[in-house]
Amino acid sequence: MSQNFNELITYGKAFSGLTPELEVCLKNFAPTITPHLKRVTDSFYEQLATIPVTEKYLAGRIGHLKAAHLRWMNDLFTLNVDAQFAEGMYKVGGIHVKVNLPVEFMAGAMTLINTELIKVVVETMSNDIDKCTKALQAINAVTGLAWMVMQQSYQEASIAEELEKFLKISGMSRTLFTNLAKAYN
Amino acid sequence: MRAGMLKSALTELNGTSGDIEASAVISTDGLTIASVLPASMDEDRVGAMSAAMLSLGDRTAHELARGGLEQVLIKGEKGYVLMTYAGAESVLTVLAKTNAKLGLIFLDVKRAAASVADLL
Repeated sequence: MSQNFNELITYGKAFSGLTPELEVCLKNFAPTITPHLKRVTDSFYEQLATIPVTEKYLAGRIGHLKAAHLRWMNDLFTLNVDAQFAEGMYKVGGIHVKVNLPVEFMAGAMTLINTELIKVVVETMSNDIDKCTKALQAINAVTGLAWMVMQQSYQEASIAEELEKFLKISGMSRTLFTNLAKAYN
Repeated sequence: MRAGMLKSALTELNGTSGDIEASAVISTDGLTIASVLPASMDEDRVGAMSAAMLSLGDRTAHELARGGLEQVLIKGEKGYVLMTYAGAESVLTVLAKTNAKLGLIFLDVKRAAASVADLL
């Protein structure tokens, strides 16, 4: 399915409340927060290790997963939040489907990450309430936006995977399926 | 020209028995090539649904070790839907009344499918 990432990012920003002002905040706070992200990643994977069902997804891959996770978190603070950003986040959602990660993992992960990021913000900015508030709003908005995009790609990738299975089992060609769907539009 | 000949073949088929209410030739991709249908029927839906059923029938016959598919027959309260290949890339679909003499219809449809396959 082809995706219009410009539309997707605009839609995501409207829902997450990521304003241009908060986008600037993310970049401004990046030098303060990014040095702590490795700790956030480590803490995140330590927490995951306590959840029995996550074990089979982590075994033997922790090093690789941590590196990818750290890159992803750095991107939240350093990249422009534009169509390219949406495309990157969209790919992350698709990858979660490819490795058969249950859908609740993304929501759970985002909650754990936010919890850790809140700690970092409070530790580093609690002497300035306004700054602290802005940082928390910006983080909440950008992680919410990333989650939305990833959810969308997860859903679309799941549907595409199910359709592929159905076509394989039924022997129907994709063209026939498309024509069938068109006939009932 | 071919479209006209196909339509004639279908009209002739519909005329062989008062029990045949409609017929259509459809590509295996579900697009209608020619049809003689009542105005109340949506040509696109008849086409797509017939090709889908034939595809599923084909798969079922192979999966359940019944060999190559010859036909798919659906019986509803208000009559029959009969689908058969007309050549490798098209489907002949016939709608018949509930009290239709199936033996005769099978024969007529088999002949018509052969004619359609030649025309295509």
